[in-house]
Amino acid sequence: MSYSATFKDHLARPRNAGELPEANAVAEESNPVCGDRLRLSLAVHDKRIEAARYLAYGCPPTLVCGSVLTEMIIGKTIAEALNLKRVDLLNAVGGLPSRKHHAAALAIEALNVALARVM
Amino acid sequence: MPDRRIYLDHSATTPVDPRVAEAMARSLTENFGNPSSVHGFGQQARAAVDRARREVAALLNAKPNEIIFTSGGTEGNNLAIRGTCEASAAHGRHIVTSAIEHPSVRGVCSALEQRGWEVTRLPVYENGIVRVDDVRDALRPDTVLVSVMLANNEIGTIQPVREIGALIRERRANGHKHLYLHTDAVQAAGRMTLNVEELGCDLLTLSAHKLYAPKGTGALYVRRGVRLVGQNIGGHQERERRAGTENVPGIVAFGEAARLAREELQERIAHDAQLRDRFESKVANVIPDLVFNGDRTIRLPHLSNISFRYIEGEGLLINLDLQGVAVSTGSACSSGTLEPSPVIRALGVNDEVARGSIRFSFGKDNTDSEADDVVEVLAQAVERLRALSPLNKPRIITDNTDSVLLSHVQRSPRSSS
Repeated sequence: MSYSATFKDHLARPRNAGELPEANAVAEESNPVCGDRLRLSLAVHDKRIEAARYLAYGCPPTLVCGSVLTEMIIGKTIAEALNLKRVDLLNAVGGLPSRKHHAAALAIEALNVALARVM
Repeated sequence: MPDRRIYLDHSATTPVDPRVAEAMARSLTENFGNPSSVHGFGQQARAAVDRARREVAALLNAKPNEIIFTSGGTEGNNLAIRGTCEASAAHGRHIVTSAIEHPSVRGVCSALEQRGWEVTRLPVYENGIVRVDDVRDALRPDTVLVSVMLANNEIGTIQPVREIGALIRERRANGHKHLYLHTDAVQAAGRMTLNVEELGCDLLTLSAHKLYAPKGTGALYVRRGVRLVGQNIGGHQERERRAGTENVPGIVAFGEAARLAREELQERIAHDAQLRDRFESKVANVIPDLVFNGDRTIRLPHLSNISFRYIEGEGLLINLDLQGVAVSTGSACSSGTLEPSPVIRALGVNDEVARGSIRFSFGKDNTDSEADDVVEVLAQAVERLRALSPLNKPRIITDNTDSVLLSHVQRSPRSSS
């Protein structure tokens, strides 16, 4: 198994799983080719992400990218969150095989779509 | 790595039986001669290979001179299909096979197709079993080979090879002389009785490492009189059909494994079936929303293939692996391209069910308590992944008038089955 310890930890103990009743920015993105799906719920106030939850269906990198992303964005301003790139998420999960990079792309896409709703 | 290590992936490979390892270890040092050498060392190795050949033949109720040793199942399937087709090309260029064959059979058939052969791939319907009537309908005057596996590697369903064999014999008796039946018995060996006379097959593939022997050795049964063009050139071994110095220790191990499989067959079948049924019963009791894939009666005793709704197989596999439990899934996601198992898809299920399939395959050394432990770990993993899944939650609806601002949703097709 080539996955990092961080990856395995998030897969075994997902962080911020679920949905936010008080969310004011929700995005659900899917990869129409492989069927992976990620739903991101954000509570954004005063241009800052106060809470984040996620749901995911798909291969393990998609599940883990959702979990790691929520940890990365809670407390960030919208501007800071919009600066996050796919490579930042890939680094945070401890790297992924190139054939799995689409999982990070899906998570960043969901983040951008959700944030566009509160800008 | 957790303390617990439970291996439920015996359809992928089996652990080497200590008795087989011992026979192989002896052969490594005692039978180092080249079986083609005329001196005593060579003849000692030749005798060891011949003893193994008799054991493999006995497992199949075949004659020793009908056994060709190979490097494994893939080579056996390649040799059987290419070898027969090349030998019979003057009589026709049509092959009949099934939609759920092992990639080595699928791949060879596709390669021949690219060289101008025609291939008919028979469906298997929702029970995962080929229909003999479909075989009958598919046969043409230019058909030279039917290749249908004896039991499937992902769902374990047993195919009606005996009935297909009777059909082929009848056709041959009626003048269709160059029509042969090959069956891939790699998964079936050691898990059901094999008898080439009863099956009526002309070629049958075996692999040693599914029988508690090491990887790297296999065998192809070729009925006496069947013409086969060898695919390895450059030596006289295996009656000119498979050139190359024999893997003597691997063959000796295979022979010992075949002997044990024959002598312990009924015991192993009863053991595996008891474990598998215990496992399935407990899983069905504690985990809702399951789909058992393939026929649950006409199947190998050791294998259970289950789809867990709302979650994807690879995530479940890695969750189980983190808990020390080894299983497998036929689906793979790479480069953003979903490749659901062709076998599960052939059952007519939707993508979600195909993606959520997991194969549990038991072996002779698994125990009741291991099966029970896996049920417990599995239930926890499924619950955790389902809590994460958006598929079993209300869909979000795009509605900008709502207090919650929602994004667009790309919906992929989902059925309710």
